[in-house]
Amino acid sequence: MSNIKDYPEEILQSLEDYKIDIKDFLPGHGKGAKLLLNFNKISGIEQVEGIILKGREIPNGIVADVIIKEGTTHKEPIHLCFGVNKQSGIQEIFPRIIAEDNTNVKIQAHCSFPNADGLIHKMFGHFYIGKNCNFIYNETHYHGEKSGALVAPVGYMYVGENSIFENNFNLTKGTPGKVKILIDIYAMKNSVIRSNIRAFGKNKNDSIRIRDSVFLEGEHASSVIKMKAAAKDGGEVLMYGVTEGNAPHCNGHVECSEIVLGQGSICRARPFIRAIDPTSSVSHEASLGRFPQKWLDELMAKGLSEEQATDILIEAMLQEETKL
Amino acid sequence: MLLELENVTIPTLDQKCTIVNNVSFGIKEGSIHAIIGPNGSGKSTLAYAIMGLSNYKPSQGRIIFNNLEITGMSITERAKSGITLAWQEPARIEGLSVRKYISLGIKDKENIERRVRETLEIVNLPPDKYINRFIDDTLSGGERKRIELAAVVAMRPKLIILDEPDSGLDVIIVEDFLTIFNKIKELDMTILLITHREDIGMVADYGTLMWYGDALMTDEFPKVMLKYCKKAGLKEFCKRALFKNGERCFSEDYIDKIFEEGDL
Repeated sequence: MSNIKDYPEEILQSLEDYKIDIKDFLPGHGKGAKLLLNFNKISGIEQVEGIILKGREIPNGIVADVIIKEGTTHKEPIHLCFGVNKQSGIQEIFPRIIAEDNTNVKIQAHCSFPNADGLIHKMFGHFYIGKNCNFIYNETHYHGEKSGALVAPVGYMYVGENSIFENNFNLTKGTPGKVKILIDIYAMKNSVIRSNIRAFGKNKNDSIRIRDSVFLEGEHASSVIKMKAAAKDGGEVLMYGVTEGNAPHCNGHVECSEIVLGQGSICRARPFIRAIDPTSSVSHEASLGRFPQKWLDELMAKGLSEEQATDILIEAMLQEETKL
Repeated sequence: MLLELENVTIPTLDQKCTIVNNVSFGIKEGSIHAIIGPNGSGKSTLAYAIMGLSNYKPSQGRIIFNNLEITGMSITERAKSGITLAWQEPARIEGLSVRKYISLGIKDKENIERRVRETLEIVNLPPDKYINRFIDDTLSGGERKRIELAAVVAMRPKLIILDEPDSGLDVIIVEDFLTIFNKIKELDMTILLITHREDIGMVADYGTLMWYGDALMTDEFPKVMLKYCKKAGLKEFCKRALFKNGERCFSEDYIDKIFEEGDL
């Protein structure tokens, strides 16, 4: 394992754009458990009581286990930093995250590739969340300012009875590049799912496709998917929000709002809902287009140009909901 | 005069008829000037035209602000020259914090935090409780209006247009707003107040009566209110309601005389 002093400062700096304190990610600082990856090398692991973190290096990445022991409650988030300082290469991550029954934790994952130009990042993750848990998973991405990265994460999440699972995915800073994300969440009896996805395609290098699916498999399970995106100056975004009501009295909602700005930009929203139980209820709403003129006028009456007002509204729309 | 309207006419979007007809009046610097009139009389249209909103462009006439013609200027240019507007129903822009929203128009970037806090105090919102909140639907209508007011006051403009600041508020909150208007005036800002309520208008020094697109009268506010009551045939209301600082503005005999003789 390499020394933490060697960990690239540039990777950590990008966290500041998401208003995350860099120090929290450094071993020896802050109180939370942490795992730092520098390209395909594990730079540091720090465990705390009730949380087991394990990592094993493989040729193009790592296999990692995060196990939250039964009954564990931690205010401080578990930090996972998957950084790459190189322009190109392949980083593959295979995380398995297990929250045992009656746990209450947050995970803050940060995928930072400040110099990406042809880099490939892949993830294949499994989350198992037990009964009566309160689990928040925040993932922020920064793919630099060049041409971005090719990023293809896949996540399967199983949420147990009476548990609350909140997923916040943010890809709003820098140039994303080619991004294809698949998230499948399986919700058991009485579980509550909140999934918030935010993405911003800023130029013609950016093509973002995100499929966020919730399968309401247990009685009285409920979910809300909120997908918000903006595409500017040739950027392309497709948001595909799926909810299936497969159990009695389950309740789901999908909401997609996207703003399209500048020539050549494309926004697409594809909410897909399905119900196979007559007592279930699933709904969706989608909107594409520009901001209401009244909102722009309100901001311009405070001295902002139309472009500045639009940028403020995009920033507001893509604001992270969860603060650490 | 800080603001002068000269023969301003504002057509409907299809240009087939007019909402405001050949209106001329001026607003004195440092005053509170109310535009009153019934619903549909063109009050808000006039306010939006002064601010420069795209669907409210005058088809004729001139708007002069601080000795500069602003008729062809954009909203942004007008705001930079010192005019701003607090909306009747300000939008709830989810994701924008109160701090950020109020700071948008502050020019002195070095003292933003201090100015934001001072301004929240002016509108009677405790800064520590509000500064980190978001402009979303957890704020009541009254809170949202105060934050909007704070955002325009923080700019320290020369002229603030308040479009029906009383709409949707209960009586106690309206009283509070009247004290806030006086605090704003003490900061050397001029207020153009759009309202159809006489109790709100009574805070004003001067007024203009709009009547179905025409500006019928510009004078001291109580006189304008008397004219409004006369046009609406509300003699008893006039006797009951026209008080300023606890004192009757006109004797009952004078009101009777005005209503009988057709003067004013």
